[in-house]
Amino acid sequence: MPVSVVLLFCVAAAVIALFVGYRVELTRSREGKILAFVALFALPVMAAWTGFSEQMDRATSTRFCLSCHVMDGFGRTLYIDDPSYVPARHFQNNRIPRDHACYTCHTEYSMFGGVKAKARGLRHLWVQYVLGAPKPEAIKLYDPFPNSECLHCHLGARRFEEGSAHNKVPDLLSRVKANKLSCVSSGCHEFVHDVASLKDDTFWKEKQ
Amino acid sequence: METVERRIKWASFLIGAGLLVQLASLLVVHPLAFMGFLMIGCPLMLAGIVMYLLSLIHEK
Repeated sequence: MPVSVVLLFCVAAAVIALFVGYRVELTRSREGKILAFVALFALPVMAAWTGFSEQMDRATSTRFCLSCHVMDGFGRTLYIDDPSYVPARHFQNNRIPRDHACYTCHTEYSMFGGVKAKARGLRHLWVQYVLGAPKPEAIKLYDPFPNSECLHCHLGARRFEEGSAHNKVPDLLSRVKANKLSCVSSGCHEFVHDVASLKDDTFWKEKQ
Repeated sequence: METVERRIKWASFLIGAGLLVQLASLLVVHPLAFMGFLMIGCPLMLAGIVMYLLSLIHEK
């Protein structure tokens, strides 16, 4: 649903609810009681639900993740002009949806993956506003990056399964699939969000 | 003013306030707006709805 519709819905619901409170004597009649039920129960519930789904959708957007200043550098790493940087390569070549770039790679593709992502988001807020945000260079994942996030898209892909780098050691692929060897380990796809070296990097400028 | 009507008035005020907070939170894309929606807007609205439903019970 477009945001403008959600906003209009909220405005209309609020106005009708406040109107019923202002003209409370209307609720003495039968029609007034029906109006009160619509204004004070049905419409608010519907407006809150549409607002909630809009908020949940926004919470997966790149704009949302990068809205905190401390994440600026991480956003810039998506534009590094060097294909050895995994996030930049994925972002610039549309291998992930740009509008949901962070969420696509940093959510777990499991039954409660979305819920866990929201819980982590709350923890981010706690760290940001209560404990004090660390320097961008000091920000680390709470847990090692699981291969399942990469395998969600790459598993079964010809380039992944038959690529020479992935088959130079006999059991490499099986260890990767079993999450015993990280995709982002040293010697593999080790360049990710290296915010400490941003000042030395060149950046891709998207053609308008 | 009867108690029931007073409750409905309070319910409408709480629901209106909750919806306005929700509306304001939808104008900004930021984690704090998301928290404002969940922690302020929704509880205000929920309190209003509960008050309205209680007024119906008391009316009977």
